[in-house]
Parts: sequence; C-alpha cells; structure tokens
Amino acid sequence: MRIFPALMTNRFWPIALALGLLASPVFGQPNEIRKSVARITNTMEDANYRLPWLPGSMATGSGTGWVVGPDRLITNAHVVSNARFLTVEKEDDPKKYIATVEHIAHDCDLAILKVQDPAFFKNTKPLLLGGIPELESTVAVFGYPIGGERLSVTQGVVSRVDFRTYTHSVLDSHLTIQIDAAINPGNSGGPVLQDGKVVGIAFQGFSGDVAQNVGYMIPTPVIAHFLKDIEDGHYDRYMDLSISITNTLNPAMRKGLGLTDDDRGVMVSSVQSAGVCAGKVKVGDVLMSIDGHDIASDGMVELDGERVLMSEVAERKFLGDEVKLGILRAKQPMEVAVKFDRAWPFLMQANSYDTQPAYVLFGGLLFQPLSRNLLGAYQFQSDRVNYFYDNFVSKEIYKEHPEIVVLSAILPDPINTYLAEFREGIVDEINDRKIRTLKDAADAFAEKPEFYVIKFIGHARPLVLERSAVEAARERIRRRYNVLAEQNLTPTEFTSASR
Amino acid sequence: MRRTILLFTCLLFTAAQGLRADDVKAENPSSVVRVNVTNQPWDFAHPWGKHPPYSRRAIGTILAGNRVLVTAELVANANYVEFETAEGGQKVPASVEVVDYEANLALLKTDDPDFLKPYKPLELTHANIGDTLSVWQLESNGALLVTKGPMTTAEVTRYPTDDSPLLVYRMTTPLQFRDSSFTLPVVKDGKLAGLVMRYDNTTNNAEVLPAPVIEHFLTDAKKAPYEGFARVGIVSSPTRDPQFRRYLGLTAETPGGVYIAEVLSDGPAAKGSVEQGDVLLEVDNHPVDSDGNYKDEEYGKIAIAHLFSTKRYDGDGVKLTVFRKGAKKELTVTLKHRPVESYVIEPYVNDRAPKFYILGGLVLQELSRQYLKEYGADWQKKAPEQFVYYDRQQNELFKNGPKKIVFLNRVLPSDLTIGYEELGQLIVTRINGVTIQSLADVPQALEQATDGLHKIEFDSEPRFIYLDAAAVAAAQGDFQRKYRLPAMQRLD
Repeated sequence: MRIFPALMTNRFWPIALALGLLASPVFGQPNEIRKSVARITNTMEDANYRLPWLPGSMATGSGTGWVVGPDRLITNAHVVSNARFLTVEKEDDPKKYIATVEHIAHDCDLAILKVQDPAFFKNTKPLLLGGIPELESTVAVFGYPIGGERLSVTQGVVSRVDFRTYTHSVLDSHLTIQIDAAINPGNSGGPVLQDGKVVGIAFQGFSGDVAQNVGYMIPTPVIAHFLKDIEDGHYDRYMDLSISITNTLNPAMRKGLGLTDDDRGVMVSSVQSAGVCAGKVKVGDVLMSIDGHDIASDGMVELDGERVLMSEVAERKFLGDEVKLGILRAKQPMEVAVKFDRAWPFLMQANSYDTQPAYVLFGGLLFQPLSRNLLGAYQFQSDRVNYFYDNFVSKEIYKEHPEIVVLSAILPDPINTYLAEFREGIVDEINDRKIRTLKDAADAFAEKPEFYVIKFIGHARPLVLERSAVEAARERIRRRYNVLAEQNLTPTEFTSASR
Repeated sequence: MRRTILLFTCLLFTAAQGLRADDVKAENPSSVVRVNVTNQPWDFAHPWGKHPPYSRRAIGTILAGNRVLVTAELVANANYVEFETAEGGQKVPASVEVVDYEANLALLKTDDPDFLKPYKPLELTHANIGDTLSVWQLESNGALLVTKGPMTTAEVTRYPTDDSPLLVYRMTTPLQFRDSSFTLPVVKDGKLAGLVMRYDNTTNNAEVLPAPVIEHFLTDAKKAPYEGFARVGIVSSPTRDPQFRRYLGLTAETPGGVYIAEVLSDGPAAKGSVEQGDVLLEVDNHPVDSDGNYKDEEYGKIAIAHLFSTKRYDGDGVKLTVFRKGAKKELTVTLKHRPVESYVIEPYVNDRAPKFYILGGLVLQELSRQYLKEYGADWQKKAPEQFVYYDRQQNELFKNGPKKIVFLNRVLPSDLTIGYEELGQLIVTRINGVTIQSLADVPQALEQATDGLHKIEFDSEPRFIYLDAAAVAAAQGDFQRKYRLPAMQRLD
C-alpha cells in the first residue's frame, strides 16, 4: 500500500493547469464557508542528515487551512512542517498574509496557525465541528487542489470509518474516514462539510496507480481531541496503553485462560516496559473491559453505537487521565486503574520534522542516533542496523540503548583511513563506558584519555583513536569538509526521553 | 535452491578460441566420463515432501583406484547417479563414495569393475600464476573440446557453503556452452590441476577448485570416518592502522600480526587457550602480516586460513605465537574439523531430510540456512529478518545454546487452530513448561500437559497459545488424511 500525503512538494502540479478552474458551490453552501477557507503556501527546508551542520533541500508546497476559532487557522501538520516561511491567502482578498505555526501535532497530522495581521480574519467566521457522518451520506471537500488559486469543491459519499495509519508520522494510527470524493495534492488541511458543519479534514489519499476515488479525512473526534489538548497552550500528544493484544477465539486458548464461552476478552501479549501499563498489566492477563465497555474476543468495543478497536478508548484520553481495565489474571478477576502520566517516549521509528539532526563528529567519524529519517538518508546495508531499527520497540532494545548510536559516515582523513570496516556499526562502549545515548558518546569524547577505544555491538575488534592524532586532525578535518559545528545535541520531541 | 546452484555452474558460455588438432592430442581424452545426476532436494518449506527432481550432466575426472572426481554440488541430494562413456554412450549406475560439501568435492564409484578399466587415471599437479591451463569439455560426439587460458591468481576465498574459505585458482578463459558443462576438469601438462567451480561469462573469469584442496580431500578420504577440513576457530582483524598498533603495544620488534577479534567457543583455538584480544604473530614459525597473510612456499602471500585448512589435517597440532599483554607467548592448538551438525543454525543440509513435528496443525521445525534458502535467490532479503539475522550472527548470539532453534513454520488450519491461522515464523521457547533445545525435546514435553492443555510458548507475540491435548491426539489421523501428509513427524 502506498499512500502519499495530499501535499506533494517534489511533484508540485503546475499552477497553469489549475488556472480557470473556478468551482461553483456544489450544493449551495453559504458564502461564509468559502470566505473562511484559505490557501497556505509553505517554503520549507528539510533537515540534512548527510551533512547535518548544513541546511537540507528547499521546496515550496501548498495546502488548505480554515478558520477554526478566534484568529486561528487549522490545517494539516504536513502542510506546515519544516516551514521557514508561511503565507496564507483568501479567495476574495488580493493580499498575502504572513502566518506562523502556533501548535503542531505530528502524531495526528494537525496544526494551528496564527496570522500576524488581524485584518486577515475580517469577514471570516470560525467553522463549526459536526459529528461522524453517516455511511453513504454526501460530503463536500473544500480546498486548493493541485495548486489552484481559486477554491475548489468536490463531493462524495462516506465509504467507511476505520483505524488507519497516519502517513505523516507513519507510526500513528487513529480513526479515519474514507470518502470517494477526489482528494488531490493541495487539498490537505481543507474542511469536509456536511449540513454546514465540518465533519473532517482532508489529509491523505492513494496515488492514482494504487486505488482511485479513495480519499481520507481526519474525523472530528481526532480534531476535537487535538483542540482540547492544546487548550492549556501545550500539545501533550496522544496517549497510548503501549501493550499489544491477541485474540481469544480458540476454545483451548479460552479454557487455558479461564474464560467462559461468552466471546469476551483479549489476551495481553506484550507490555512495553517504557509504557504506562508497565508493572500494572502482565503478559497473559486477559482484558475483559475498558472503562466499563466490554471487550469482545477480537478486541472490539462498542462506543457511541459503533464497534471500534478498544484502543479508541485510550485515544480519547489526555495526559493525566485514567483508564480502568477489567482484567482476568490467573483466572481471577480484578480491576486495574492505569494513569496516563506520559506519552510514549521513543519516536525514532516515526518521521521527524521541525528538528535539526543530532550528531557528533569526532576524528572525522560521524555518529548519529538511528531514526527513520537517518535510515532514509543513508540506506544502510548492515543487517544489524536494520534489525535494531525494526525491533527497537518489540524487543525493547531501548532499555539498553534509548538511542542507537550509529557510525553513519566517515569523512576520510589520515587518522581514520583504516576504519572503513566500522561504518554502520552500533556503538556499545567508549573507554569501558556504556553508550546509551548520543550524549554519552559526546561526554566520552570530551574526556582526555590517551586512547579512545570504541566498541561496536557484535564487532569484537575495537576502533581505536589516539587523542593526540584526533587533536592534530581536528582543524584539518573542519577546514577540508567545511564543518560548521562538530555536534548538535539539542533535545527535541523525537529524541529519547532519557536525555 | 536450484537457482543458487546454477550460479556456480557454467552454462552460458561465449565464443572460444580454436585449437589445432595436435594440441588436442597432447591432452588426454581417455581420462574422463560423463556423469549424469538426478537431484531431488527436500522442500524445507513443506518438510514432509521434496522438490521436483532435475537432472544435470557433468564431466567426471577418473583418478587412480577406479574413482571419479566431481564437485559436491553436483551430487547434493542425488537420487540417481550414472557414468556414461564419452564415445559410445554406454551407461552404468554409480554411487557417491565420499562427499565433502565444504570442500565442494565428491568421489564417485561404480560396482562394475570393468567399466573404468579402459581409461587412464589422471594424476594431480599444482598450478601457479602464469601457467597456461586447459579446460576440458566434451562435444556431443565425445570428442574433447579444450579451451586454454592463463592462471591469474591463487587466493583463499569463500566456497559455496559460505562458511569455509579455501584456496582457489582464478583463470581467464572463453568457455563455450556444452551440455555436460558442470564440474569441468582443468588440466596442466596432462595432469589435473583443478575443477571449474564458478564461471562468469561476462568477464570470462573461472574460479577453479585447485589441486592442493583436491589432494587434501583425497588424503582424508582414505580414512574412515571422513573428517573434513580442519579449522582453527578464530575471527581475525587486520592491524594495519598505526594507532591501533600503538594501542596494542606492537612495536618494530613485533611486526605484522592479526588481532584475534573472536575465539569461537569450544573451537580448537579456545581449547588451546587462545584469547580474544591476542595478536597472532606466527603460525608454525611462519610470520603473519598485518592483513593475516603468511608467505607460502608455493603461492607467496596468502591468507593463513590456507595453512590451517589445506596444509594441515584434522588432528594436527600447530604452534601459534601470540602477543598478549606486552609479551610473546607460544600456544599449541590441535586443529579440528567443525561438524555441520554442531552449528545452531546449520549452514547447509544435504542428503538429509528436514526434521519436523506436526502438532494439531502447528508445523514445528529446526531452523537451518537450507530453510531460509527456500525464499529464493535473494533469501537474505525475503526470509524473515530475525531468522536471517540469527543465522548470520549465530556465533555471537548463541554461545550458550540452545542446541537448535525450533520454530513454528506455519499453521495448517483446522477446528483445533481457530484463531491461530496467521501464526508463523515464531521461535518456540517452551512447551508445557519444558525448555525446547531441539525438535527431539518436543515429544517428551508433550507428555507434560496440564488440565488437558498443551501450552506452547514463543519468544515473541502472541507469546503463548494453548491446544487441547486430547483433541490434538484424536485428530492426528484425520488431519493427516485431510492434508494428505505422508507423515506427521520426522525426528531423525
């Protein structure tokens, strides 16, 4: 399955194509809806993982936003990610207004923009949120697809409501509504309306060669969750139980777990030690209910008349909330209250944005924490790096290595010319000190031993650098490769919590 | 699996240089027979069955004692072997007398005492860089087709089983395609210098399994049981980097040497007190350079693996001079062959049926590289990532067992396995509380059911499942009939 974000920066559709495509209001939406929908233009700059002291490539993209509250616009996070300069325009106003990101939620692909000049909001009216539209009911998508300067409106019907991956982060899944209206690059962030109310935000679709007439929108429970989360001025991210479950359909399985023939309960098959359930829920527990909702043997609960995954109950929680789990442990029923006191801390497998790559350059050796972005930039061949990446959470590699520090590249110099075999190695120890994070490595390099002895996982021969040689080479390497800074250790939401 | 083997054959040949008739006469056409082999490997993905059979034609070189030499790849999982005279096409059944898949050599024999009598056995000769070597092929009429080329390199490199580097000769020669193109003899001055092991028709480079390896194999083959090529059991790393040399304390008085990065547990070096971190300076008084080469009388600078594997035999003692904690130290190591069965994940399984145990539709097997190769030519990308990683890092990961890795290959669905249909590629850790070290542990563990349930535990999700012990036992017969399985288990 290939999903592309509805805003495609690299294959930006020629504007000329869209000129003259004046959409007439499809089924008589009041004019103020049109007035409250804006075109967003984003000049963005990617992070540079190969030369992390330099900026990355630049591109311009466009998307759609709409007035959600007093003097605020809402759009998709991917429309305004990595922004260096943002402008917003309205259909009936010739001016370009300068905007800034106030809140951005990469885990649910939503963002709030402020506009510097309050004149932008004249004649606009915040759009109201509706509920989840009925299946097969008609909705209208407002936006600026394929870069046009005039608002476009398409319509379609609601096809299904389901949990689906949000490709912006790629690590998160939330409730999603599939519609058959055309959603194209540039529609992203645009409101989807029914009966004058917003029922979703258009955000992703398939490229035409995979599936046609399949578009996805973020439904109002997710939008409302985001708006409520930021009420205190800070986005806390989605809460997560950080457990996995397995079905209890098998009669022998049910007997072994002490279950009766009532099609209830799912077995806990993993509990992340860094998650909120650690110490409270055990592998082998059977979850019978969540906040009083019975859990069926396939993991579904009934919520507002819909059968949805039990994780939807946790999805609706906020930092500090509690959830009550009805559990059968060793065949004994019990109640466990789990407090959501933190969001899941390890995000290296998610796409990261609005952050500069962390790195340490030492003796021409570039050390970087493993992440989805790093993997994308280097295409590592090492089966060990790929195994550590894929199993980072499932095998709890984070317990020993909250960051997987990789020797990602070598800037060739006489002091490192024999060290090519260590490229793509994962650092385990430096001078007998365990390296758990990139900062540990930076600290070890800040010391002044005679030799720096770096041990890599599964590589019994250590890499050895002489301090005197490193010091003598330092300026030479900086000059030869135009290294502007030798390290960046600034913590971000994507770096480990243990930093 | 078959495709992997074809990589090493020489089927797509391009234009060859012509040879005059008197050149051909100088060679010895009456020392080879055709060898026709039908192979039928086991299907490790469906371990109760085999793949369809396929046939290959090769050239066998006749050696003294009425024996015929071919590569081991040719006869791996052979169902039927026969000799065929080059001219006349008379055939006689043959059999494998000794085979070594690591050295990639096999000796064949026939029970017909007269069949090989008219032939003149070839003697062996070593070749060296710059020699002109002849590659023998047979035309369809039985005439000898000889293609010549210079030998360019003698080098220690990987053999088809991947785990045992041995000597090869390289030569450049433009071979043509002929139907019996497997296992071609390479001849110098009328004597056998080697067998073609791989051929690349784009570069015209041939890799030749050389006479020293063949001689070693023939010497071993005289003893029963056959022991195989010995190994020292170390992984070494160069010490070229001057910073690394200073760190190790190596000086002008201790030139060269390789860093011993790993000592395989229970291997010959470990038993001989070699330690990780030692620097190997000399082997039997041959100085070792910083890349791990020694100066061979015959081939010059070459990897020390040649000395350990080919120039010495199983049971031989070698004297290692190591540099440890600032001083030289002499150690004696008794070289031993490492039997393939001693690997946790066996690098190859030939001529042996895969073990399996079907438990209520759960197909349990032991992990082997042969199983991973069922994923096709690019199995390293297509097979389950964890298994490929375990295979490659097995020396590091399984120092203290288990003996074998037992895994759930797939589930053959039935009413007993409702809800488990999608399980597969899961490593089994325990059954009914009993730790599973090999498939042989399974039947005993199954006697430990509690409350009429078998509990099967895995190293990853779903972590464990239950099966109804009585229902599983009662359903075995039905199950075998429904899926038309020839057997429900094979444990030896």
